[in-house]
Amino acid sequence: MKRKILYLLLICAFAVAACGGGGGAPAIVRIGWGQGPDTLNIGAAWLASAYTIAELTYSSMYELNLDGTITPDLMTEVSTSDDGLVYTYTIREGVKFHDGEPLTASDVAFTYNLVMSHEDFPTLHSYTEYFASVEAPDDKTVVITLTESIPNIESKLIFLYILPEHIWKAHEGEDAATFENLEMIGSGPFKMLEYKPNEFIRLGANPDYYGGAAKVDEVIFQIFSTSDVMVQALKSGQVDMITGVPNTSVETLKQDKNIKVVSGAPLAPDLADIIFNVTDPENCPVDEGGLCTGHPALRDKIVRQALAHATDKQKIIDVILLGLGDPGIALIPSGLGEWFNSSIKDYEFDVEKANQMLEEAGYLDTDGDGVRELPDGSRPLTFRMNWPSSDTTAPRMAEILAETWGQIGVTLEMQAVESDALTAQCCPTLDFDIILWGWVADPDPNTLLIIPTTDQIPTGYNETGYSNPRYDELFAAQGVELDHQKRVEMVWEMQAIIHEDAPYIIPYYAYAIQAYRTDRFTGWLDNQPKVSLEDPSSLLAGEPVK
Amino acid sequence: MSRWQRLVRKAGWALFTILFVVILNFFLFRILPGDPARQGVRDPRLTPETVEAIRVRFGLDKPVINCIQTFSPLEFGDCGVNPLEAQFFIYVANLLRGDLGMSFYYNRPVGDILGERLWNTVLLIGAGQILAIFAGALFGLGAAWKARTSIDYSALIAGLVAWSVPTFWLGIILLFWGSNNGFPIGGKETPGMSSYPFMMRMNDFLHHLFLPTVTYTIVFMGEYLLIMRSSLLDVFAEDYILTAKAKGLNTFQILKDHALKNGMLPLVTIIAINLGYTVAGVIQIESVFSWPGLGGALYEAVTRRDFPMLQGGFLLIAVSVIAANFIADLTYAYLDPRVQVE
Repeated sequence: MKRKILYLLLICAFAVAACGGGGGAPAIVRIGWGQGPDTLNIGAAWLASAYTIAELTYSSMYELNLDGTITPDLMTEVSTSDDGLVYTYTIREGVKFHDGEPLTASDVAFTYNLVMSHEDFPTLHSYTEYFASVEAPDDKTVVITLTESIPNIESKLIFLYILPEHIWKAHEGEDAATFENLEMIGSGPFKMLEYKPNEFIRLGANPDYYGGAAKVDEVIFQIFSTSDVMVQALKSGQVDMITGVPNTSVETLKQDKNIKVVSGAPLAPDLADIIFNVTDPENCPVDEGGLCTGHPALRDKIVRQALAHATDKQKIIDVILLGLGDPGIALIPSGLGEWFNSSIKDYEFDVEKANQMLEEAGYLDTDGDGVRELPDGSRPLTFRMNWPSSDTTAPRMAEILAETWGQIGVTLEMQAVESDALTAQCCPTLDFDIILWGWVADPDPNTLLIIPTTDQIPTGYNETGYSNPRYDELFAAQGVELDHQKRVEMVWEMQAIIHEDAPYIIPYYAYAIQAYRTDRFTGWLDNQPKVSLEDPSSLLAGEPVK
Repeated sequence: MSRWQRLVRKAGWALFTILFVVILNFFLFRILPGDPARQGVRDPRLTPETVEAIRVRFGLDKPVINCIQTFSPLEFGDCGVNPLEAQFFIYVANLLRGDLGMSFYYNRPVGDILGERLWNTVLLIGAGQILAIFAGALFGLGAAWKARTSIDYSALIAGLVAWSVPTFWLGIILLFWGSNNGFPIGGKETPGMSSYPFMMRMNDFLHHLFLPTVTYTIVFMGEYLLIMRSSLLDVFAEDYILTAKAKGLNTFQILKDHALKNGMLPLVTIIAINLGYTVAGVIQIESVFSWPGLGGALYEAVTRRDFPMLQGGFLLIAVSVIAANFIADLTYAYLDPRVQVE
């Protein structure tokens, strides 16, 4: 008995020493999220969550705001040469890395050169695609020379986080991609305190941050394997915010008076797509293993348009997203602001009209089995439809499509396929009829617009095998068009072409849904055009409830 | 054959099996469709040049083995390549040096990841198994001794229900109950406690361990209870139990000296098999409670086609299963002298 009391006393003594020291408990924000970063080395990273952490710990030349605009971060002035090839940047003075070393132009040049020379950086390398050389003539000047005059250098510089040369110098060779970078020294508003892979990441406010220190002391990202459990953690107060709310939990969370649910366009545009294999046999990438076994009817624009007319997008949104999404038009999501072509009138849901179109084009049901055949009667309109087995919503979408498409004499052979196997089947093999899939992309429309270009058939990104000279021409032209308004016009025309030719049906642009407890912290940026409570700007704005 | 000869022979077979697994593991994952240099990611930023550069970094540009360039898709290659330039022999050579390679996905040494995850899994399963074995054996014994009474029937029903209830469902139910009663529901520790004194961290860890352990215990206890009960009922029907009763031995002596030793045999088998396999992690429990165990790591590795992780992980499972069986063999010999005589 005496022993027990002694132990208890000891524990209490320790507890007092641990908690009672600082005077007032530290303000710790606990964020639940579904997937942690694969690595803290942003060069080697594949996942968006690695970029989320990089945004918080690093600085870059520009930052992407929650209203979609891009504003200066490290840079203060820029001048451009007349030919649009040389950019001379002046950077902010007095910026320090988390370890106290100053951040100078030579760190910037070092970082850009490191990324340029590392083709094996999975996602980061692409941002230096048009860089010819980067130099730092003095401590505050960075000169970037491009190979082509591109209009969107800012949107690339956002993601080129400035790494400290004094740390990365030792890893600039072959091991740059295998360096673990556990200290993650940067110059951003938060610094890395503790990282437990697949468990949590602990960040501390950087008191010397040039943009003003955060009002919270620590931010903890805790990883949950199951989203329903994450919701329960928020309800029971074990976390203060969750970055991904399952659509099915929205209603119950809204009833909790201490929880606020926020939904809207995601920061990284994303879209769902119904992919038709429209590959023309002469475009078949045989050298890359192309089989091009798509159903011939899908190469007919009329059939695709009829399928678009027979697609009830609103019902899909209501059933799958419980209403939390916008009907899709073309490859550019509505969340991309001015890039989104808002003038396109979508194919209205009209089964009768779809039937009439197929009838007129000669797709008749000659044998009376309820399924139409090709005009020459050789093959029924029976399409294979696949989706990645990890996608839990695709089976329901497939069901809805099968129902309305069935009413126009089309049948589907539906099967879920493991993602990697589906990739092997999809592109550039083009051994499918229809796939239900999706894309997540960058704030600049380029990454989405490149997909249906002819050049991307052999690389496997042009998943439909679509090829249109006019579209290719526009894509090349907008990529070097420095006049913003003209570029917007071209991007609009490209969307109109894709919508008209319908190699895709875009069923929806899903909303991002997040939630936070109102009884712990206040001030998160929850009223922005784009929803991202874990964005640096939002985490810098929040403060404990008094 | 002496006892030692038998032991050496068994160990020899175990080693042979492991060698077979080493070889099979390498080829099995390379036959799957999918490209580790893409990791199941579809992203226009990932250019074909980048994929090629990543392939070189991972060593996937080298032929799989002499005469075969790749398995998926199958491509034949040069038979005269230096074997030390072929992926298979590089893998074997590294393995002999104890090097499991770098995970393609996590960018960390596979040995480190497996070590961390194995330890987490062993803690969870160790606690759960011990409780399940004791509770299962005890209730099974009670049920068998009081056969065909209400005690037996309630134990039987409880055992059947526990055994057949879906693991994730039980986990979720306990999780909801626990989250409203102050138990943490995610992970194995509260983030940010690393600088706290040991006793507080231990207390925090035990709190995190509680719900997953209870789930594990209930599920496995059911199985052990049923097996223990039925095997003891068989033993009780034997003549020597009747003899023991006739000799006037008390209940405790009969159980201890005559029934339990024989009745334990099937239970030992099941425990050994379970122990071996559960090193792979109880993925349902791990995923409900976000427990950073081996099961989740291997699941992730499969979806990412992370070859080094898969090779290392499956080798670890194979070794555990084989080791558990080996130990079970030895335990048999101790529990049942008949095994030794043969």
